[in-house]
Amino acid sequence: MTREEIIKSCLIFATGLFLMAFTLGPFIWMIWISLADRADFLVTGQVEYSLSNYRQVLTAHSLHFLDYLSNSLWISTITAIIVTLFSSMAAYAVSRMRFPGRSVVPLLILAMSMFPQISIVGYLFEMFSKAGLINSHMALILPYIAWTIPIALWINMSYFTQIPLDLDKAALVDGAGRMKVLYKIIFPLALPGIFSSALLVFIACFNEFLFAIMLTIDYTAQTLPVGIALFQGLHGEIPWGNLMAASAIASVPLVILTLIFQRYIVAGLMGGAVKG
Amino acid sequence: MASGNFLQQYEKGEARTAWIFIAPLLLVVGVFVLLPVLGTFYTSLFLDVSYLPEQFVGLRNYIDLLSSPDFWQALRFTLAYTVAAVTLEAFFGVMFALLLNEAFPGRGMLRVVILIPWAIPTIVSARTWQLIYEYTYGVMNYLVVNSGLVSERINWMGTEFGAFWALVFADVWKTTPFVVLILLAGLQAIPEDIYQQAKVDGAGLFRRFYKITLPLLMPVLVISLIFRTIDSLRMFDLVYVLTGGGPGGSTRTLSYLGFEAFANDNFGMGSTISVVTFIVAFFITLVYLRAGKFSEQLK
Amino acid sequence: MQATKITIKSLAKSFITFRGKVDVLKSIDLTIEPGEFFVLLGPSGCGKSTLLNLLAGLEKPSGGELYFDQELVADAVGKFSGPFERDISMVFQSYALYPHMTVEENIAFPLTNLPQVPTSDVMRTKVKEAATLLQIDHLLDRKPAELSGGQRQRVAIGRAIVRNPKVCLMDEPLSNLDAKLRNEMRAHLKDLQKRLGVTTVYVTHDQLEAMTLGHRIAIMNNGVLQQVGTPVEIYRAPVNQFVARFIGSPTMNMLSGELNEEAGNLYLQADALKIRLPAETAGRLKARNLKKVTLGVRPERLYVKSEGEPDLALPVNVIENVGPEYLVYSFHQQGQIVVRTPDEPTGDRLDLSLDAGHLHLFDEQGARINL
Repeated sequence: MTREEIIKSCLIFATGLFLMAFTLGPFIWMIWISLADRADFLVTGQVEYSLSNYRQVLTAHSLHFLDYLSNSLWISTITAIIVTLFSSMAAYAVSRMRFPGRSVVPLLILAMSMFPQISIVGYLFEMFSKAGLINSHMALILPYIAWTIPIALWINMSYFTQIPLDLDKAALVDGAGRMKVLYKIIFPLALPGIFSSALLVFIACFNEFLFAIMLTIDYTAQTLPVGIALFQGLHGEIPWGNLMAASAIASVPLVILTLIFQRYIVAGLMGGAVKG
Repeated sequence: MASGNFLQQYEKGEARTAWIFIAPLLLVVGVFVLLPVLGTFYTSLFLDVSYLPEQFVGLRNYIDLLSSPDFWQALRFTLAYTVAAVTLEAFFGVMFALLLNEAFPGRGMLRVVILIPWAIPTIVSARTWQLIYEYTYGVMNYLVVNSGLVSERINWMGTEFGAFWALVFADVWKTTPFVVLILLAGLQAIPEDIYQQAKVDGAGLFRRFYKITLPLLMPVLVISLIFRTIDSLRMFDLVYVLTGGGPGGSTRTLSYLGFEAFANDNFGMGSTISVVTFIVAFFITLVYLRAGKFSEQLK
Repeated sequence: MQATKITIKSLAKSFITFRGKVDVLKSIDLTIEPGEFFVLLGPSGCGKSTLLNLLAGLEKPSGGELYFDQELVADAVGKFSGPFERDISMVFQSYALYPHMTVEENIAFPLTNLPQVPTSDVMRTKVKEAATLLQIDHLLDRKPAELSGGQRQRVAIGRAIVRNPKVCLMDEPLSNLDAKLRNEMRAHLKDLQKRLGVTTVYVTHDQLEAMTLGHRIAIMNNGVLQQVGTPVEIYRAPVNQFVARFIGSPTMNMLSGELNEEAGNLYLQADALKIRLPAETAGRLKARNLKKVTLGVRPERLYVKSEGEPDLALPVNVIENVGPEYLVYSFHQQGQIVVRTPDEPTGDRLDLSLDAGHLHLFDEQGARINL
């Protein structure tokens, strides 16, 4: 080995170790506390491990954890489905059809995504109050669709443009309407892209906090992030064990989803970021 | 053949179908983004608090806001926080991306592991960091005290300095993976033979990084930093959980300040803050885009 | 089935962008006879593909009218029938097979879009028929990715003929095949068109394909029709320099210069090269009173002359043996001159004679001078 190679190997080893500690540290800490019977064991040195925190979180009705979880799942899933449908239709039109305004629409939509959430949430609150939608699933689904659809549009566009235009022409000549071209030809071929945009939308909705805390009031519509942010023990002191167990349950599905579909997620982030 | 030709060149049926395809998206974005943005601007011109009738006050809210020390404090904090977080993310991002671009046993696993912080909901990670920063039994104080870095535990959330860096660390942890992913894609686009050529030309490891990798990576780095900056400027959830804007209101971001106003039923002022937040974010994005063009020209 | 006649009247197409207006087609007039194999030939960017897309209904004209038989299918104002309404089929250069469908599903796809979808039995029979005709019936369960280039090509053709369209359009269908397969498919295609008798419009940039396939050829350049005619007509009497150069391989030799009369003979002085024109040509040219002309001679119409005074003499620069014959290259200020000869020339000079019946003369604008 040359000197340069030795230096390089050491650097790789050190950075790799640091990366592991950096990314996994807090995550391991979360899991650790969720399994411990007390959070102050670093000081007291006394600890026992069990799944009792998880059991409490999942069974205690007063904590409403399962309500938050199901709200989150429903809202994120429905949003992802609708966004996928709308954004792929629009991406199809913008990337493959000729009409006045085709180059303006994507930029306009991108510009819309530049507005910080705070600059729309106040008005949404007033709007939904008048419509009686506050504290309903709809109060989150509607803004979530609007908030995530620009990125989905850009990801889908970047995938659609890779499909040869001749396929559309052939299908039109063969008598398929535009809608049929979309679901019979484009959709199956761009499935990885559509899947990754749907996945990113789902994760974004699952994580969203500002809309959720402003537009909901209680466990009938509050999502997991709100539930966890407002998580209070019965006696004032934060019940760290329960909280970390809830956090673990909230994040582990996402972590697993991410690990399994990391290829799609990375591709989606690239499609949205680099081309966008 | 007059100017009507521009529209005439499109086939009407096709154009109509295209607009039908786009309509749902435009409708949703129009009603739930554009309309609220305009509505927010409109509301910002009113004295709109729940216990009084609405009253048009023109730019009064803006004048009040700009003369309030809370606003300047929040602006200063938001900018300082963004600069600190984005700088650290760029540093760690480049470091990790370089690592993950090398061939070594275990790379595949590390490429997956790096995504974990990204996948964890911000609120969850905020809660986790809250526990890490806990004064008595948090792991952060355990580490800094036992390693001898400091003699006494730090009250992270009790001091301006501590709260600032606590927020920055938590943000860096959560968002560095995003920067790493984009940089990694950028690194993979640099052809291997350039490095071979540089080696042949006698450039050492660090020189190769400084003279080849970094300049070629610059455009991608700028893009990822634009995204990160835009996000940082609107940061809300970490502050909500970790500091609640404290101590003494020192860690309120602009978004948080707006949220407080809304939460206190002061919709006029909340809207004003929202508009100003947007304007600030908009100008910083413009500056960045200029810088991005500049770096492309360098290339 | 009665074949369809296509009538194109002053058809024009331009694209308007913010950078300005681009005229891709400038007033095309053309009639394609029922059952004809019609070839559109031209270099890339000449507008031939745009014309095909206009016929297909994939693009809308900005001027003129288009008729299938008596029926108006498109004009610039409002009338526009889509591709399926026109009952056309199309074969693409990229084949445009649907990658996620089997061969059978690919060929059956047009049938599934009919207003009255045939039963699956009928569909299967029709697909089978088309596939058998093209000798791909053993591949029906495969996906396009599992096929060779030639097989994909046949699937694309199968998809185009399965529903007996009024008109079949082909956009450079052979150019993605290797040379050997291309020759094979060319013959196959010609035979198929004859059997089906469907009006076919075929776009290509390859003059050999055009010559061998077309009943008639239309040569286009810069969005303008240059010449329409049978392959023989065009080869024998190209209307201008562009057509003359485009048809035939190797390319027709072109020499421009001034006409001089000397001792009863008429000479063309092309830079350093002095060419004596045959007496018959000279006589007719004199009557026209022209100063400058361009002389065009195909390589096989330059005859090696072993004795007597040559009409022109060339230095020999390169000799290529292409099997049955030799190509002799001579470099000249105006480009290279190629001579096609069955015997290998000896020496570094080539004496040549011209034949009045095989000379092409063009005026300063490049248009043919008919003598």
